[in-house]
Amino acid sequence: MPFISQIERQTDYNLFPSSTPIVIDNGASYFRIGWAGESEPRIIFRNIVQRPRHKATGETVSIVGDHDPALLKYFDCTRSGPRSAFDNNVVYQFEIMEYILDFAFDRLGANGSQIDHPVLITECACNPVQSRSKMAELLFETYGVPSVAFGVDAAFSYIYNQRLGVCDKDGLALCPGFTTTHVIPFVDGEPVYKGCCRTNIGGYHVTDYLKQLLSLKYPHHMARFSWEKVEDLKTEHCYIAPDYSIEARLFQRGTKEAEDKTRVWQLPWTPPPTEVLPSEEEIARKAATKERLGQRLRDMAEAKRSNTGYASKQEIESAMVKVAQSLRKAKGEPKGEQADIEEKTDSSTSEKYSLINIPDNMLTPEQLKEKRRQVFLKTTTEGRQRAKQKRFEEELEQERKNQLEEERRLENPELYLEQMRAKYKELCEKVEQRKRLKTNGGHSNGNNFPGGVGRGERLNAAQRERMRLLTTAAFDRGKGEDSFGAKDEDWQLYKLMSKDNDDDDEGPDQDEAELARISSRLQEIDRTFVPKTDLGASQPASEVPRSRPLTREDFQIVLGIERFRCPEILFHPNLVGIDQAGLDEMAGVSMRRLLSKDEDLEKRLTRSILMTGGCCLFPGMKERLEAGIRMIRPCGAPIKVVRALNPVLDAWHGAAAYAANSQFQEQTFSRMDYYEKGEDWLRTYQVRYTL
Amino acid sequence: MEAEVVRAELVLPTHLSFKRIQMYEKYPKGQSRARHWKHLKQILQAENFHNYPPDQPNYVNIESPPSLHPCKRICDITGFEAPYYDPRTNLRYANADVFKLVRSLPNEYVQRYLALRNAAVVLK
Repeated sequence: MPFISQIERQTDYNLFPSSTPIVIDNGASYFRIGWAGESEPRIIFRNIVQRPRHKATGETVSIVGDHDPALLKYFDCTRSGPRSAFDNNVVYQFEIMEYILDFAFDRLGANGSQIDHPVLITECACNPVQSRSKMAELLFETYGVPSVAFGVDAAFSYIYNQRLGVCDKDGLALCPGFTTTHVIPFVDGEPVYKGCCRTNIGGYHVTDYLKQLLSLKYPHHMARFSWEKVEDLKTEHCYIAPDYSIEARLFQRGTKEAEDKTRVWQLPWTPPPTEVLPSEEEIARKAATKERLGQRLRDMAEAKRSNTGYASKQEIESAMVKVAQSLRKAKGEPKGEQADIEEKTDSSTSEKYSLINIPDNMLTPEQLKEKRRQVFLKTTTEGRQRAKQKRFEEELEQERKNQLEEERRLENPELYLEQMRAKYKELCEKVEQRKRLKTNGGHSNGNNFPGGVGRGERLNAAQRERMRLLTTAAFDRGKGEDSFGAKDEDWQLYKLMSKDNDDDDEGPDQDEAELARISSRLQEIDRTFVPKTDLGASQPASEVPRSRPLTREDFQIVLGIERFRCPEILFHPNLVGIDQAGLDEMAGVSMRRLLSKDEDLEKRLTRSILMTGGCCLFPGMKERLEAGIRMIRPCGAPIKVVRALNPVLDAWHGAAAYAANSQFQEQTFSRMDYYEKGEDWLRTYQVRYTL
Repeated sequence: MEAEVVRAELVLPTHLSFKRIQMYEKYPKGQSRARHWKHLKQILQAENFHNYPPDQPNYVNIESPPSLHPCKRICDITGFEAPYYDPRTNLRYANADVFKLVRSLPNEYVQRYLALRNAAVVLK
């Protein structure tokens, strides 16, 4: 059901005598206006005003209701959205109300100097007197209306259906509307507001919930979910589940039934043009180009090499000596001559360290000094030699290892490569893990919003541990008896607390060195190998293939559980954080408030429960309500729920029929009454519905 | 104004013969910038309902009481029944798969899901 907009200008305004009342159903979602005694309202439009700026002239204009969206291209609507005169279900912005009434009377065809007809206008149950008096003032002062009557929409709807025999004189009207839901009990055809109750939830909330859920589910298509579109989706697809949990479980198990109940909305989507595979000759051409370019590079390299040639043999030899020397230097070996000298000194150790083996008491003080020097010299040289030896051995070992590896590789190249890769991967993960731990202890759960959570998130594990120790030390002291220091381990605490215990870098260093070695080795033997450059940048990239081509499914809006999840809030308002009774419970609340102590009356009430208001249009509403009310009523109580003939328009129908009654005039009040009787009178003002 | 806009009578005329006081007379300088209306909350405060007998129905006391039914807990993301809740994000979830999703959600989305049931952190 798209939005109804019936705004054609009427021409027969002047045919009506000034005694014919104008009937207005001023609902939070729709405004309906027409003549008393007629069967249908003349003008229907959405109860909203927009005040955009005209692009060409720059003046701000007022646009009431819905119009052809194509025409709005001439206006700049960015700064003003549609506005409503309603806060909840109470009119509070009378400036907007005035625009709406202007438009309504204008379209009804009014062209005199004032609106010379009595007006019957609906309001919410127990409307605050401020709103009521402002409305009366507006009608009297601005439009010159002779007399006004206020009535409640749900009551008019009930009376209308009662006249037509849908419900009885005693009964309950359940009215889930746009912003609020009312339950009003009727006794002898009159509403009893004492027993009335209201929950602030309605069709607006259902649409809003659906809109939010969809835009959270499909953030890429957010622009598609305009209010109007979602409202359409709601009226077309939403239904009320007989039992929410059973229905939800159907969907959770993914049964066939649930699949049948799932609706899919396909957004416009054009498949991307399929890539044409390159033809044979093109491939050949490309290969040829590549080959040519490669050849050129090779040629260039060759030319460079031949350019650096030497002129003579001596030159080459001298260059070789130079290179060999520098190589040796780079390796850390002492120069050739030095080595010779050392060798010489080695042979003459006994002379050089002549004093070492002579006991101290046989030496003069000078000799003692000399001896100490010699001892020192000897230990240092020996140490140096030992280190050299060790290095040499290590090199040998490495060489041997390399040899071994090479052999293994030659034995079975594939296996070797495989092992290498596995090792690389393992090491990679290890290093990454360590880095992650170091930067952020709680990082590993993948929930990495930047600076989102408290202090703990920003410290690394070691720092956090230190913080914990410090705080316990600061606050736990003095609780009970202080046994600190009784054991030696207690003092370890200070060591743990001090700042310099978190440089535990040897482990990762080793790993990293090994990793570097393997990756270089892999690069040597495996041409397809690409080392991971940014270690620790988290998120293994393999999971999200970002550049996946978009498919038809990406442009589908799936309405599954949302179809009944959204209307469910009428029965469980706390699903959207409104802590009030739901629709079925409200019936019980209403009867409790009535305090009738009359079981007969209660039976009569539940025997005629009328649903009216826009939200009754959801399929399954009646069954759910019956089940819900049966639960709160005593066993065997008669329960009958009926839907109003036209849940949306019956309020206006009822009001029009009511205003056509000859006694209607007595229910209205004039401008004089309004000013003479004062606010207190207006507060208690209430029309009699049974005429 | 463009011809088709005029033809559709999209724009509300500024002068209407049936009005005693025109809009431009009420607001000679265009629409007033200052707020001269009260929100519902202020209206209700001004009504002083506590001065009236409690058995007399008024806008405030006809409101429904909190529900007596046990609170239904549903998964914030899928809508299934939710036996668990995540203490980190405060979101309710139905099973391990949803939990994985919950933990991968950016904070903005978490807050929007929470706002759906009026449980988001509101900074004032």
